[in-house]
Amino acid sequence: MGELKTSSPMASGEASVSSSGYQTAAVPVATLPPKKKRNLPGMPDPDAEVIALSPKTLLATNRFVCEICNKGFQRDQNLQLHRRGHNLPWKLRQRTTKEVRKRVYVCPEPSCVHHNPARALGDLTGIKKHFCRKHGEKKWKCERCSKKYAVQSDWKAHMKTCGTREYKCDCGTLFSRRDSFITHRAFCDALAEESARSQTLAVSTDVNNPNAKVVVASPPPPPLTPSTTVVSPALSIQSSELPENAIGLSPQTPKTTCLTTSTTTANTSCSSSNGNTTSTVFASIFAPSSAVVTQPPPPQTSSATSISSFPNLIPTLGRSHRTSTSTTALVPAVPIQLEPTSLSLSTSLYLSNNVGSSLFPTPPDHHDQHRHFALSPQPPAMSATALLQKAAQMGAAASNASLLCSFGLTTSSAATGKEHAATNTAVHWNSQIKPESGASATGLALGLGENSGLTDLVMRPSSLFGNQAPMTRDLLGLSIGGGGGESTGGLSALLNSFGGGGGFESSYGGEGQPERKPNGPALL
Amino acid sequence: MIKDEGSSSATSSPLAFFPALPQSPGMGSPYPSWLLEPRSEERGISLLKVIMTCAGHVASGNLEQANIALEHISHLTSTDGDSIQRMAAYFAEALADRIVRSWPGLHKALNSTKIVSVNEKILVQRLFFELCPFLKLAYVITNQAIFEAMEGEKMIHIIDLNSSQPDQMIDLLHTLSARPEGPPHLRITGIHEHKEVLEQMAVRLTEEAEKLDIPFQFNPIVSKLGNLDLESLRVKTGEALAVSSVLQLHTLLATDDDMQRTPSPSMSAHLQQFSLMNQRPLKDWLEKDPLSLLSMSPDSALSPLSLSASPKVGSFLSGLWKLSPKVMVITEQESNNNGSTLWERIRPTLFYYGALFDCLDSTVPRTTVERQKIEKMLFGEEIKNIVACDGLERTERHEKIEKWSLRLEVAGFFKVNLSYQGLMQATRLLRQSHFFNGYKIKDENGYSIICWRDSPLFSVSAWRFRR
Repeated sequence: MGELKTSSPMASGEASVSSSGYQTAAVPVATLPPKKKRNLPGMPDPDAEVIALSPKTLLATNRFVCEICNKGFQRDQNLQLHRRGHNLPWKLRQRTTKEVRKRVYVCPEPSCVHHNPARALGDLTGIKKHFCRKHGEKKWKCERCSKKYAVQSDWKAHMKTCGTREYKCDCGTLFSRRDSFITHRAFCDALAEESARSQTLAVSTDVNNPNAKVVVASPPPPPLTPSTTVVSPALSIQSSELPENAIGLSPQTPKTTCLTTSTTTANTSCSSSNGNTTSTVFASIFAPSSAVVTQPPPPQTSSATSISSFPNLIPTLGRSHRTSTSTTALVPAVPIQLEPTSLSLSTSLYLSNNVGSSLFPTPPDHHDQHRHFALSPQPPAMSATALLQKAAQMGAAASNASLLCSFGLTTSSAATGKEHAATNTAVHWNSQIKPESGASATGLALGLGENSGLTDLVMRPSSLFGNQAPMTRDLLGLSIGGGGGESTGGLSALLNSFGGGGGFESSYGGEGQPERKPNGPALL
Repeated sequence: MIKDEGSSSATSSPLAFFPALPQSPGMGSPYPSWLLEPRSEERGISLLKVIMTCAGHVASGNLEQANIALEHISHLTSTDGDSIQRMAAYFAEALADRIVRSWPGLHKALNSTKIVSVNEKILVQRLFFELCPFLKLAYVITNQAIFEAMEGEKMIHIIDLNSSQPDQMIDLLHTLSARPEGPPHLRITGIHEHKEVLEQMAVRLTEEAEKLDIPFQFNPIVSKLGNLDLESLRVKTGEALAVSSVLQLHTLLATDDDMQRTPSPSMSAHLQQFSLMNQRPLKDWLEKDPLSLLSMSPDSALSPLSLSASPKVGSFLSGLWKLSPKVMVITEQESNNNGSTLWERIRPTLFYYGALFDCLDSTVPRTTVERQKIEKMLFGEEIKNIVACDGLERTERHEKIEKWSLRLEVAGFFKVNLSYQGLMQATRLLRQSHFFNGYKIKDENGYSIICWRDSPLFSVSAWRFRR
């Protein structure tokens, strides 16, 4: 490779390479020097001199060499200073009389975008760095995160920030910027699960534990440090800590024996594996509840002594929102009487993290007043919204549902325990109610499964409704199975009762006047 | 066999299949145990069915049938039970109230001796504020929007259309005092119908402002929103105006719409759905059970673009527009409860209040008196208003944000996208508080929607008067 060097601004033909589009001869610069004109990025000055340096030149660290002792210098000025030391007669190196000509540099690598003079870079240092970064070998490496860099200055810049301020979301994603971290946290799904789990843990743990908060605030376990110290107040430390501790506790089988012994420091050792020195009170409440509430308690229950108290915990935890601080005193407390007072006293707007936002003071005190139903005995299906949706689905599916089914033919619950009680009633009813009841009783009977007295009823309705028993377990099946074409006496009777004549169309079409008028003389 | 409507003989009435059997002697309890179980999804579903049926009766004027249905509902509901039971109790009460209204004299006589305690009302508002996060979240988002809009302003005037909880303004005072350019000169005009509330508010706010050293002035206006005279707000030129409306604007939608009962396109949809009696009544009934009515698409009744005319809201909004507010933040219930017929309203109302009752159920124990108070005096009254009243009396007219945005745009407002900041603050609040579990806030086209487990409940939106 030939050495192409420009040593003087005089662009003689052999010294510089230029494409046809660019002038090589000295060109009067269009603008006067007072203000250095900067071109738009990506658009080099068409009047500029294009200089192509060889890779060797670009990578060379010491471009300026003293002719006397062959010492290399990175900068010309340094070389000059050095030469003075040789006691040479020196004279000031004159600035070239020529006006400064703008130079642009191209990358020698042919495959590079910047090889094209139209995409030349304007700065010598810039082209050197570019060449190193893109086409050079990455010689510098960060120890912490093992990221490699070709340019030393890049490496230095990275070392400044690597690991110094790092935000880690509980879902494992790392952020170097606070704002992106916060944005992420707000919508992180994993975080939502964590907090959901921590709710269950928080059932009895966070409550009336002024200690708890204090303790938690004190050295939180290292794994949590990055995430929590940066962003969250003590409370979220608490919340994020709880699941950690819970999980941390489960594998510690030998230590769990301490769980229920008492409210002693023994408990702290349980959670101390996480480096957490939670207070006894805190841990004692926390531990059993976590054992109870979180899914994988089996390792914890290995301890024989602790097992016995767990069953006690479950019902009380389920209902009682605040266990008192001692594990033993798992009073199914009804702290409800406290609620009115605390409600009226609290300005229970919780503190948000913002400066100046006072709307929401930190809750720990306020937790006293709140009930927690981590384990509400009812399964979620009991919620009104769930029921409504289910009902709507049933309605949609039940194109053949008859009114007969819709009325009172609620199947008995599938709960086995209730079967007998229900069967009695069902039997009783059936004895009273006539064939129509065959249809109605199915509702009861079907859910009951095989109860001798009712098997025939079960069978009959199956044929009547043409569905399988399992389907009728819940109301879904029943209405589906509802005899579309069944016209038992009761059915038509129902229809008549509903129809009430012409009132119908108007009623469902929209309310007309009829509704307003007391058209029920029967009532009076 | 049922031949006549009036027959109330239990054996023949299909409704008698319900366990409310007076003629079941020899049983320990008149009700089969499965009905009384705590775990009774079936009871819930049957409750819903009966409610829908009852509503149908009431809507069509079959009071006799409605009566029977109500009787059966009463056996299933309880104000102490699970959320569906409670809600059903209030719905039943509302339906009954509606029936009674058809005899105006009777209705007046029954209601004339009611003692309305203002303190109870105020207390219930506070309880709602504390036990449910909605108001807090709305305040956070509102305050953030106001704060952002007022950046750099030196004179700020805030009009609070329902100045009931001091917490909102206290928080705003704090944020304003902490801003880098220093606190502004702040005026707050609070509107409420009870003057005790405003007096309290004045005391709290002035004391807080003094602590923070903010030049502050509080102007109370005792008035119902409908009677508000915009002149009395005394908006001065040169001050930046912000309006905060939390669950207030919908009361202005109440109009005397008895005269407006023209068949709308929605009606015809219904007509088709249920088809005319003289055609195939039996078959239709066979095909539809009350629950299928629940499964109708929620907005089939009200097409999104058919806004019911409401002169009051229109004039109010344009009055506000003339005051040139820099920002107006509106929080409203996210539900289309403003159908013109009961039938159109019953389904969205069920879903909406079902979610609200669930919220309370999940955070507050069943036996709490406070919860019952909220349920009865707040939700129950709202349900009653939606179901039983009409015309000017029906003030709980909720509409979803799409409709509100249409109204606001007609009045000349332009949407301001709510910033991430407010949303994140609100989410953080939820996350920090273990008490509020299951609530979500999401951003939809620049509006913030507060949901309970995927059911949208409240919407917050911000508007400005100039592009």
